[in-house]
Amino acid sequence: MTKILFSDKLDNCVERWKSAGLTVIGPVQRSNISTYAAIEHAAELDFSLVLPDRSIKDLFFPQSEPMLRYTIKKESIDTDECLPPSGPRIIFGARPCDASGMAIDDPLFGWDYKDEYWFQRRNETVIVTIACTKADDFCMCTSLKMAPDSTKGSDILLRPLAGNKGWQVEELTDRGREAFKTIADILQESSDPAAPLAVVEKKFDLDACVTWLQNPENFESRFWKEISMRCIGCASCTYLCPTCHCFDIQDEGDTYTGIRRKNWDSCSFALFTMHTSGHNPRSTQSARWRQRIMHKFNYFPGKFSVNSCSGCGRCSRQCPVDMGITETLQEISKLSL
Amino acid sequence: MSIEEQYRTRAKELLSGGAVKMVIGYGKGSNAKRRRPIFISSADEVERLVLDDACITNLSGYLVSEGLLSDEKRVAVFLRPEGIRAINILAAESQLDAEQIVIFGFDVAGNEVTALKGINVEEFSDIIDSIKEGAPEAAEEELFEKIEKMSPQERFSFWQKEFAKCIKCYACRQACPMCYCRRCIVDSNQPQWVNTSSHTLGNFEWNIVRAFHLSGRCVECGNCDRACPVNIPLRLINHRMAEEVLGAFDHFAGTSKTQEPVLASFKKDDSETFIL
Repeated sequence: MTKILFSDKLDNCVERWKSAGLTVIGPVQRSNISTYAAIEHAAELDFSLVLPDRSIKDLFFPQSEPMLRYTIKKESIDTDECLPPSGPRIIFGARPCDASGMAIDDPLFGWDYKDEYWFQRRNETVIVTIACTKADDFCMCTSLKMAPDSTKGSDILLRPLAGNKGWQVEELTDRGREAFKTIADILQESSDPAAPLAVVEKKFDLDACVTWLQNPENFESRFWKEISMRCIGCASCTYLCPTCHCFDIQDEGDTYTGIRRKNWDSCSFALFTMHTSGHNPRSTQSARWRQRIMHKFNYFPGKFSVNSCSGCGRCSRQCPVDMGITETLQEISKLSL
Repeated sequence: MSIEEQYRTRAKELLSGGAVKMVIGYGKGSNAKRRRPIFISSADEVERLVLDDACITNLSGYLVSEGLLSDEKRVAVFLRPEGIRAINILAAESQLDAEQIVIFGFDVAGNEVTALKGINVEEFSDIIDSIKEGAPEAAEEELFEKIEKMSPQERFSFWQKEFAKCIKCYACRQACPMCYCRRCIVDSNQPQWVNTSSHTLGNFEWNIVRAFHLSGRCVECGNCDRACPVNIPLRLINHRMAEEVLGAFDHFAGTSKTQEPVLASFKKDDSETFIL
């Protein structure tokens, strides 16, 4: 017997969570794009998506965030700090790759200083993940040693029952248990079996890739130029990535008054490393693509003992020129044979 | 012989004889539906070239990659009519020497690929003229008509909703053959002309600046629209501006390599109806 949440009871849960003061967020299709957004009713949720176009990163690290307002006076500067909007939230129906992406970024945002904007949202959000029963050509969690039912970063893991009838409930954290206490009487005990998980083919040998990347001789390999020749240098891959976390701080306003913002930035852009002198240490697109791969599979794990990739495949899925991490690591796998 | 085979043979001849140093074409992609840009520099590799109805991306933007044409050697490229128009514009705007470009022209109707006769850009002028005569329609004609019928307020809210999705990844800019500036105005920070923030104002600024900058220059290849990861129907904006320029100045972008850029030239009899 397992605890089951039946689909037809989901709207009651949404009501219950809303009454308890939680903002309910989930996968939706809106304005011709799929994303995680706040909902009023369970009917708005779309569980048919393999994965929403946008990742849940946006909910913890928005593309543009005000940090402070400033007014420069004759002898002083007035500042008014902007804190992230607060309030408890529940994300119902995250994918395991998205949830694990948040856990991957936790050490980064808590490393040399604690990023309050990130952690306030992290602490106030319950992530209810639904294991995947289908995958597409671009999913690659298994290549990253994860799985369609990985629990990393999730507070609750739900396993779909056959025929979209509901989900088996696996409570993973205290935060998850707390949120599910409010719906305890809605859950039922049942022996309904879970639907089979998605089969995600393993696409590359991660260990072999990491070894190759760690070899300093390969830093100047011709490979980087060849693999990235068609890269057009947009930030589609980095901005859709659940783990890419780079940002830029910008003051917006006139000479005397304005607002300081934290905006997404991308290593794909030439401007990312441009010095004031005009010198750019990453002057070519191949150097920038190498940086992205090295950062995810060499530097980041070197510092935080975890790869900065959760295998969602958005980088390849959305790339205007059909590039992405998958192809690059597949090619590196071949080189390391 | 299929067109794909004909073009592979031609590519082999050109590469082995040294007539071109590179062929920019399409190769297999990461799944059956996808094709990706490939760069062939050796005659032994021409078998990698693919030509079918999935070859959609306009490859002309790669020609203005830094340094590619600076050795004055020739480069061959697979282009649909829009791509060929783009070559004319790039030549007219002094971004490349059309003599260096060898065109492998093709078009796709339904799922049938047809070869376009010619090698040099001038040889395709009849095809381009016939496109102009055919008054091309917007890619999503129904939505386009719907937007046209809206009141200015409704139209404003339509685009506000669409631009709200923008994340300023600049995929539209990077995918566009006409966005060749080494440093885009939005990347200028001394002074900072355009906000970098991806908020309502910032997104409007970016998308409107881009729409104006492409007026009379856009060939409607759809690269921006397809590249947009948040599915903003960018092509509709460019199509509207193209219609505007066609109506006001009888200018159809990319008809010849000597065509004057419409917004960078002045004629005494230019229509001035919009100048207050």
